[in-house]
Amino acid sequence: MKNSDNISEGKGNSRALHPFMAMVNKEISDYIRSWRFMILLLLVFLTCLGSVSVAISNIDEAVKANATGDSFIFLRLFTASDGTLPSFFVFISFLGPLLGLIMGFDAINAEENRGTLSRILSQPVHRDYVLNSKFTAAIIVLSVMMFSLGFLVTGTGLIAIGIPPTADEFLRIVFFILISILYISFWLNLSIFFSVKFRQPATSALAGIAVWLFLTVFYSILVSLIAKAAEPSANASAGQVMAYQEFVMNLFRVLPGQLFSDATTTVLVPTVRTLGPLTVEKIYGTIPGSLPLGQSLLIVWPQLTGLVAATVICFVLSYISFMKREVRSR
Amino acid sequence: MSICTCSLKTIFAAILICLSLNTAASAPLDSVKLYTPFLKISVAPGEAVDYSVDLINNSDEIINAGITVSGIPASWNNTVKSGGFNIREISVLPGDKKNFTLRVEVPLKVNRGSYRFQVKAGDFDELNLTLIVASQGTYKTEFTTKQANMQGTSTSTFNFQTTINNLTADNQHYALTADYPPGWVVTFRPNYQQATSVDVLANGKVDMGVDVNPPDNSKAGTYKIRAMVATNASTAALDFEVVITGTYGLNLTTPTGLLSTSITAGETKRIPLVVQNTGSLELSNIKLESGAPLNWEVTFDPANIDRIAPGESVQVGATLKAYKKAIAGDYVTTMDATIPESTSRISFRVTVKTPMLWGWVGVFIILGALGGIFYLFRKYGRR
Repeated sequence: MKNSDNISEGKGNSRALHPFMAMVNKEISDYIRSWRFMILLLLVFLTCLGSVSVAISNIDEAVKANATGDSFIFLRLFTASDGTLPSFFVFISFLGPLLGLIMGFDAINAEENRGTLSRILSQPVHRDYVLNSKFTAAIIVLSVMMFSLGFLVTGTGLIAIGIPPTADEFLRIVFFILISILYISFWLNLSIFFSVKFRQPATSALAGIAVWLFLTVFYSILVSLIAKAAEPSANASAGQVMAYQEFVMNLFRVLPGQLFSDATTTVLVPTVRTLGPLTVEKIYGTIPGSLPLGQSLLIVWPQLTGLVAATVICFVLSYISFMKREVRSR
Repeated sequence: MSICTCSLKTIFAAILICLSLNTAASAPLDSVKLYTPFLKISVAPGEAVDYSVDLINNSDEIINAGITVSGIPASWNNTVKSGGFNIREISVLPGDKKNFTLRVEVPLKVNRGSYRFQVKAGDFDELNLTLIVASQGTYKTEFTTKQANMQGTSTSTFNFQTTINNLTADNQHYALTADYPPGWVVTFRPNYQQATSVDVLANGKVDMGVDVNPPDNSKAGTYKIRAMVATNASTAALDFEVVITGTYGLNLTTPTGLLSTSITAGETKRIPLVVQNTGSLELSNIKLESGAPLNWEVTFDPANIDRIAPGESVQVGATLKAYKKAIAGDYVTTMDATIPESTSRISFRVTVKTPMLWGWVGVFIILGALGGIFYLFRKYGRR
């Protein structure tokens, strides 16, 4: 830590920076200036613009359909769709993994291949700073991106429909963005792990995309196969059918994508009261209505915990493998 | 011829003497008579009877007789008239008769029976006359109803059908009044019109409805209403009896009127309730029941209320226990207070909150994971 001045002076900054922060700053500027990020940003921006325009053109129907109940009109900006283009939160659930993978797939191995990793490590910094700063910088960039996207949608919607969001709606939007960041950071950590594991960036990118494809496409096919095999007979008891349904649902809940869509649906649609199968004993006597934000969050708390856990596991794996590996200069 | 004329003269004289002697001897007693043809007359009350009376003077003197009527009840009017004058004394020429009229007015209020009275002409003669009053006396109004007793609840209107029968000989203008407990409304409807007075012709009848409307909060019991018809001379009263059976009124509510609450799934909540008796009868054996969502428990403390007096209320506590797997959001729970005659239901909107327990478990899992990372930093961080 005594040498912190060295690095900061070397970067030409007048203010003394913690070496970790200096590394994070550097990483951020690297991300921002990369073509990859630009392309990604453009992609995400365009798709989101498309989905928001669809939502705005459909919001009058959504308002009409919702005229009797609690009108969380503003949240419909994020969920409304006419079927031609998916809504905003579906886009995020689709593009988020891609965003995380692209941000992290070459985090370590590219440095290694360029030979810059041993140079950094020759500086008086802790070794884990390299990994941590990569992760932190990516998270900061992603957070800024997601928040600006979310608020862009909010602002556009405000201009288009002229109805300001309530405090509850605004908080729900903020939580939606936070959950999105959490979800993307899972994929980021996964790709960082691959970048530690595989020497070639192409391999790690491929591995990441393979996992993504498997989890989004093939896993559900696999689950449906298992579900078909485990399907109870036509004259099974209600309890067996229930157990079967829960079993299938739990198989899907292994997926981070499922956790994310559960969480965002519940946060963005206040009338969602439960995510599990509904039995008559739970429904009997209910009155349709919306939940307060705290209750919505409590419903998806297991999902959020699962997402956090998955993210932390990926981080821990990449951390251990990075700290244990041998770094040599070429 | 002289003898002849002489004898004629003596005969005439003897006749004259005889005549004069005769009158002189019986003039005060026998030769003066009172005469009227109808001695007994049957009359109706309120009628007037005109007796045409002759005073006959069979004497050969002029008599003066004072006419007096005695034995007539004091309230009866009588006048003696002749030639357009009220007379007290009559003078009659010898061998002549004088007619006078005795008018006796039988009052309306008179008992039935025979009334004897005497007409005297001085000391000469007296007439015994009898008036028979055939019907009971009639300065009288009949105010009757066929059904003077009615039963109903405190919200009903009691309609009594009455008849005013004017038995007097005059047209009467009756004022209609009533005595009733405070808060009651009594309306008279003679000839189907609401009114405070009614005209009834002499010996006529009028049907009249009397509407009695008790206050809605009247207690059960028997009430007496006295309706009166009155003129300056005659009154009649009729007592109605209204039996109010009372109503059963039951109302279940909360002390504040708030019908919503929130509860954490799996936990209990006590809701204060109030059972009110809004009727006019005492309620007994009130049962409290609930229609809660499945697997919810509602217990009332107490579950039975023995009795509530009219207008009173009783505090009850309901303890609500939500099913531990209840989903977050709003449920409806109904609660009933029931007596055999009535029931009162409230719907409670219960907002279920999921318990924070699993939230904290999630927080601890996350903290554990972060603690693991911190441990990794310490172990592998190469510090």
